[in-house]
Amino acid sequence: MTVLDAPAGSAVPAVPRQGLVPVFVRLKLTLLRNGLRQSSGRRAAYVASLVLTLLFAAGQVIGLVALRGHGQAGTVAVLLTAVVALGWAVMPLYFPSGDETLDPSRLVMLPLRPRPLMGALLAASLIGIGPLFTLALALGSVIAVAHGAAAVAVGVIAVPLTLLVCVALARSVVTANIRLLTSRKGRDLAVLSGLVIAVGVQFVSFGAQHLGRAGGLSSLEPVADVVRWLPPASALGAVGSASEGSYGTALGQLVISALALGALMWLWQRSLVKLMTSPDGSTIAAADRSADRSGGDRSGLFSLLPEGRTGTVMERSLRYVVRDPKTKASWVTALAIGLIVPVLNAAQGSGSIYFACFAAGMLGMQMYNQFGQDTSAFWMVALSVSSARDAYVELRARALALLLITLPYTVLVTVVTAAVLGDWAALPGVMGLSFALLGAMLATGALASAMFPYSIPQDGAFKNVVPGQAGLAWISLLGGMVAAAVLSGPVIGLTVWLHMAGHQDQLWLLLPAGAAYGTFLAWLGVRLAAPLTADRLPEILAAVSKG
Amino acid sequence: MPDQADSAGGTETAGVAPTPPPAVRVEGLWKRFGEQVAVAGIDLELPAGKFIGLVGPNGAGKTTTLSMVTGLLRPDMGRIEVAGHDVWRDPVEVKSRIGVLPEGLRLFERLSGRELLAYNGRLRGLPGAEVDKRATQLLDVLDLAGAQHKLVVDYSTGMRKKIGLASALLHNPEVLFLDEPFEGVDPVSAQTIRGVLERYTRSGATVVFSSHVMELVESLCDWVAVMAAGRIRARGTLTEVRGEAASLQDAFLELVGAGVRDTGDSLDWLGGAR
Repeated sequence: MTVLDAPAGSAVPAVPRQGLVPVFVRLKLTLLRNGLRQSSGRRAAYVASLVLTLLFAAGQVIGLVALRGHGQAGTVAVLLTAVVALGWAVMPLYFPSGDETLDPSRLVMLPLRPRPLMGALLAASLIGIGPLFTLALALGSVIAVAHGAAAVAVGVIAVPLTLLVCVALARSVVTANIRLLTSRKGRDLAVLSGLVIAVGVQFVSFGAQHLGRAGGLSSLEPVADVVRWLPPASALGAVGSASEGSYGTALGQLVISALALGALMWLWQRSLVKLMTSPDGSTIAAADRSADRSGGDRSGLFSLLPEGRTGTVMERSLRYVVRDPKTKASWVTALAIGLIVPVLNAAQGSGSIYFACFAAGMLGMQMYNQFGQDTSAFWMVALSVSSARDAYVELRARALALLLITLPYTVLVTVVTAAVLGDWAALPGVMGLSFALLGAMLATGALASAMFPYSIPQDGAFKNVVPGQAGLAWISLLGGMVAAAVLSGPVIGLTVWLHMAGHQDQLWLLLPAGAAYGTFLAWLGVRLAAPLTADRLPEILAAVSKG
Repeated sequence: MPDQADSAGGTETAGVAPTPPPAVRVEGLWKRFGEQVAVAGIDLELPAGKFIGLVGPNGAGKTTTLSMVTGLLRPDMGRIEVAGHDVWRDPVEVKSRIGVLPEGLRLFERLSGRELLAYNGRLRGLPGAEVDKRATQLLDVLDLAGAQHKLVVDYSTGMRKKIGLASALLHNPEVLFLDEPFEGVDPVSAQTIRGVLERYTRSGATVVFSSHVMELVESLCDWVAVMAAGRIRARGTLTEVRGEAASLQDAFLELVGAGVRDTGDSLDWLGGAR
């Protein structure tokens, strides 16, 4: 079709006469279009994120314009720019494969020189939602801050400068780290780093609440005074300085941003040259891992586990919590959020000790989609399960491995929350309730694993469902959680009744009752899920092999 | 019936017996994926104690067939027996008798090679000490001893195939199913795999493997089934299938109806003036 249609004998020039920029811009647009063509779901997601970004950007511009004349306008503009620039530096590490035009290792085989290539890559990077958002932010900031002709003139330079520094920052970070990002270790790290955001969001939300109480924006001024001199925020700082008439400062700030752009381009070029002229060492590095672990198959604490399928499955499950980045990320997130929510709420005096049940709920969710966590390696399990009894032992072992972590952790969270609140009287009751909830989650999780298995993509920190199975995942999780809440109803009811009837002194009864009830629920769930699993082995394998 | 199954696992009797019981019997096997018919009514008997090659071009239905025979994929229709036991009605008997190395499915990659074998052997109900002994020997023979503590995720393609083969052999199965065991494997590893498989079949066990490399099949197998477009086109001993043709490759191309395509003038610039 394409190559074969070229006229015979005429060699295609190595670099097109009109330059690389239009070629790369067209390539980027084509890739974008083809990506959207792949599935309607992806198209919907893209359009939705585009609309959302545009709305957000418009809101930001309107907000910044409204701030015009406000004393803190400069502070807000400078800090927002810094945050967005930070995003530019960090985001490509999470989405390394997000933009194929920008992956230089794909271009290694082409006869291209670094300098024209950089121009083309930079131009291609300027197309997309991110640059549009940044442009809106920079424009809005200039409108908010600029007073007078000189400031507007500085603004005209500052807007493209800010955008270019942001894009060049992202490019140089990616290019410098591409070997790491495309190696196995790097991908593992990227998957894990997703939880930094998940956990960070919790802290940010508490920080924002704290800020709200501590006197608002003016408390940020000292930070802004520093950031004002950091590129690319310094470009917008220059607009503010020019508005105040301090032209020298403005010039200095502009120069800082311009120098930063130059430095980033230089760094980028250096790593680009290195990347395109030296052999790929990522696989060599991966194979270099020395094998210094010693001898036996069952070492350390694992030797305490029982023989047979139970111990074997528990051992593998626990190893995967530590070694598989996807499993690890979901565990660490659950552990962190399960602790942060009740304890920080308690520390702020706004929480109840019953928030501690949150930990049991978060951790119990790990029982869901057990076989999806195996990926297509589930075939090994499928080949060794030949009866409902085998499936029962398999599921029970997975639940036991989970309990090995969740049980002590639930106790810990409950005790810490009680200690922070000083509410020791309610402790046994809350613990009992947590155990009942945990049991209900294990039961519904086992059933959901058998009935609604789905694939977990192994790459990317934020993709936990493959396209087309999102509905399945939601049914499984949401339905399971509602069912778990209903199942723990008797214990919740008992708690409420003891409170209402004024039997607070008998709340400790909830501990044995909840523990017994939770154990029963978990046993029942696994018992019911076992024959379903044994009957549906090929269907489960097909469902979890799409990642 | 039990006698037949036993003799298939026996030592020298299988080769000499006048009518050896089939290792695999397939009747009227169908599988459809949406509009696409992957397997269109297969009837097949694979003799026990042989080195059997299932050959065919890409998309012929080899992997689908092997998946159904090993119980990893549910057929739309048809009956499958392995060593005289129905795969879907009697999984306890079948699963303990077969070893499988599938293609395109992962292993538990976050285990080291040794841990993977330990996991697999214990899952199959072998005692721990026996698993460790067999694992050590298999790792040695397959040249993986040096990498036994490395995670499988860091293994090369050849190493993955070898550790997969070790997992499949660990419980000493009667019938071994290997899907493209030599695909992407370097010549040294291929030779190692070959040696192990030849030794294994000499003991009277059956190996069924799929491939599209005819030279390999010709040099390894003594029984061949040719598949194309979801159907069996030919079956029998190597000489029967080869017939008059000079090599299995020629016989195969004829069977699947792929003549040598003439490119004509369409590529005349290739190799021309630069």
